[in-house]
Amino acid sequence: MITKIKDKTQVKVITGNGAAAIAAKLVRPDVVAAYPITPQTEIIEQISKFHATGEMDCELITVEGENSAMNVVMAASLAGGRVFTATSSWGLVFMYDAVLATAGARAPVVMVNVNRETPGIIAVSSGQQDMICTRDAGWIFLIAEDCQEIMDLVIQAYRLAEDYEIQLPVMVHYDGFYLSYLSEGVDIPFQEDVDNFFLVLKDQPERTKLVPGGKLGCGSHGILGGYLELRYKHMAAMERSKDKFDLIDKEYEKIFGRSYGGQVEEYKMEDAHVVLVGSGSMCGTIKTVIDKKRDVGIKVGLLKIRMYRPFPSEIMVKALKGKKAIGVVDRSLSFGFKGGPIYMELKAFETQLGGSEMISFIDGIANTDITTANVGLMIDTLCDLAAGKDVREVTWVCYPEANEPDLPKNGRAVK
Amino acid sequence: MTKKKGKLTKALDHLIHDDPFSKGVAFCPGCGLELLLRIIPRVLGNDIVITGTPSCSAPVLLGQNNRSWHTLSYFGTLMTGAAANATGLVRYYRKAGIENTVVCFNGDGTAADIGFGNLSGAAERNEPFIYICYDNEGYMNTGIQKSGTTPFGAVTSTTPHGARALRGKNVRRMNLGLQMAMHKISYAATATLSDLDDLAKKLKKAKEMKTQGFCFLHILAPCPTGWGLAPDHTIEACRRAVKTNYFPLWEAINGRIRMTRIVKKPKPVETYTRLMKKFAHLSQADLGILQDDIDYEYCVLGGLSVLESECRLALSDED
Repeated sequence: MITKIKDKTQVKVITGNGAAAIAAKLVRPDVVAAYPITPQTEIIEQISKFHATGEMDCELITVEGENSAMNVVMAASLAGGRVFTATSSWGLVFMYDAVLATAGARAPVVMVNVNRETPGIIAVSSGQQDMICTRDAGWIFLIAEDCQEIMDLVIQAYRLAEDYEIQLPVMVHYDGFYLSYLSEGVDIPFQEDVDNFFLVLKDQPERTKLVPGGKLGCGSHGILGGYLELRYKHMAAMERSKDKFDLIDKEYEKIFGRSYGGQVEEYKMEDAHVVLVGSGSMCGTIKTVIDKKRDVGIKVGLLKIRMYRPFPSEIMVKALKGKKAIGVVDRSLSFGFKGGPIYMELKAFETQLGGSEMISFIDGIANTDITTANVGLMIDTLCDLAAGKDVREVTWVCYPEANEPDLPKNGRAVK
Repeated sequence: MTKKKGKLTKALDHLIHDDPFSKGVAFCPGCGLELLLRIIPRVLGNDIVITGTPSCSAPVLLGQNNRSWHTLSYFGTLMTGAAANATGLVRYYRKAGIENTVVCFNGDGTAADIGFGNLSGAAERNEPFIYICYDNEGYMNTGIQKSGTTPFGAVTSTTPHGARALRGKNVRRMNLGLQMAMHKISYAATATLSDLDDLAKKLKKAKEMKTQGFCFLHILAPCPTGWGLAPDHTIEACRRAVKTNYFPLWEAINGRIRMTRIVKKPKPVETYTRLMKKFAHLSQADLGILQDDIDYEYCVLGGLSVLESECRLALSDED
């Protein structure tokens, strides 16, 4: 990560949720829809306070459910507004029909999703299962690692969503509990700088807006005319958003002095023999362990996924090509498929990677910590794989019982 | 003859704006919805933004295959979130200082069933737009299925009449209009197509009142295809619905109910039900249950329309 020291900073100790709320304030949205759900609630509480004190000049709608939250911001966005809402877990799946419709309408909505598990009310715990449940909705998905990145990603998300060449909704994900309630020092951007960052959007052509008397409709009924064209153009915009995101990341650095590498962040990748692929808050832990392992001569690196949809396949293949062993850490499951979901996706590029061995690690689901010991075990397993030893294709790091030979087979030995 | 002509003019006087719809739109013969849909922009103006959901109104209201049947601004949306979408529109327009009349136009399936939650939410927040429910008492577009406003005894494709189901729908309808009035919204009213003057006045009133908050119009719009009603009996069915108190006409400002038409000698419900096939299987005893439900609903309405003044009187006596 390249970090410039700025002339002036305002660092405050705030939570991840606090960072998201302040970022939402800084982008000056027209309409905000608010509905509580753990672990997201703090965001809408803070926004309500900003609204009450007059710090935020937006229409705040305290809806009666998440489904309405998404419907409100979708319509307000199509009418021409800048909108914000936040949710988590059950809230995300309760609004799923509107999430799909928002993508279909190409409404540049930005939403924060604080990742949480979804197997029943038992799981008030962290995990990316909600993200995986909704990944094919047609939204751009970004994932933050720490509170500072939450702040920066939310601001960047608006530039991406509202860019005339993109016009797609963006969801900013971060780990519930681990980041939502974690307090750390966050450099809060100045309002003038954020306004300045958005100036470029004003020079772009105005997007189509639904206005009274405008003789314009949206959400047409029918199956023929335009449908395939819309789908194709949506896919094309998704592809364009990869380079656009890299560009926005670089522009962000010019004003705010922070850059993360765009679609992915590469940590000590250049000379790495074995690599872990991860996303979200686990990356901080992984980086710490990598530093320790490198002290004893193990050449290990991290490829952090910042943009999950569109899947940054080109840049990942480029970074991973020729590595001896790759381990993908998933904080979610794909039922009926042995490995984790992100592992499954990267596996599709096995041929392009040119003979790199790839294995899957399941960790951090159901509120289990991805500890330094867990990451150490993953790296050791990768070293074994690189040395030609037999290892499991899928290892449940957070639930070793699943890896016992007598228990139901969850993986097979590779090699 | 002269008298009749005079009556017609009274309703037509309200139709001051152009008809934004093209001729020969794709509705069934005698559709109550079509008449209603054409009247709304002629009374409220062509600068309204109309939102609609998948329903009978969708092919015409929301256009087909990127072609439109009208020149209004429209927003095609999902049944689950209709009132929330309208909320998003009006709140943005308010923030941006854009004058607007947003009409959220939905059937009873959206209003009373799947979209009731967000309708209730928008009403509770008193959002500044007009919500119109055209009530044809079922899911007509998908082939006549039962909804929350389908009346007791009616046959639909999911409440068919059979050896084990002698009554068709075996529970009573919900009173959607009254439920909305009890949200204490700025304006709630019922209307139907036989009383166009009353309907137009209520539309105008809603346009006035929506600056203060939520306006809900519950409009009975018969479906000849779904009800087994002759296409030339649509208006007659509305007329008899009013005269039997099957669909009484009232309005409520901030939850205070006032009857806008009092039927002095209400006819038995059978004069209404015999017009259509959906009640044809009902026995006299079953018709009695339907009559009883109608009488009960009317009593509640009548009671509510006078209750407040009487209660206040009683309270002041205690003092």
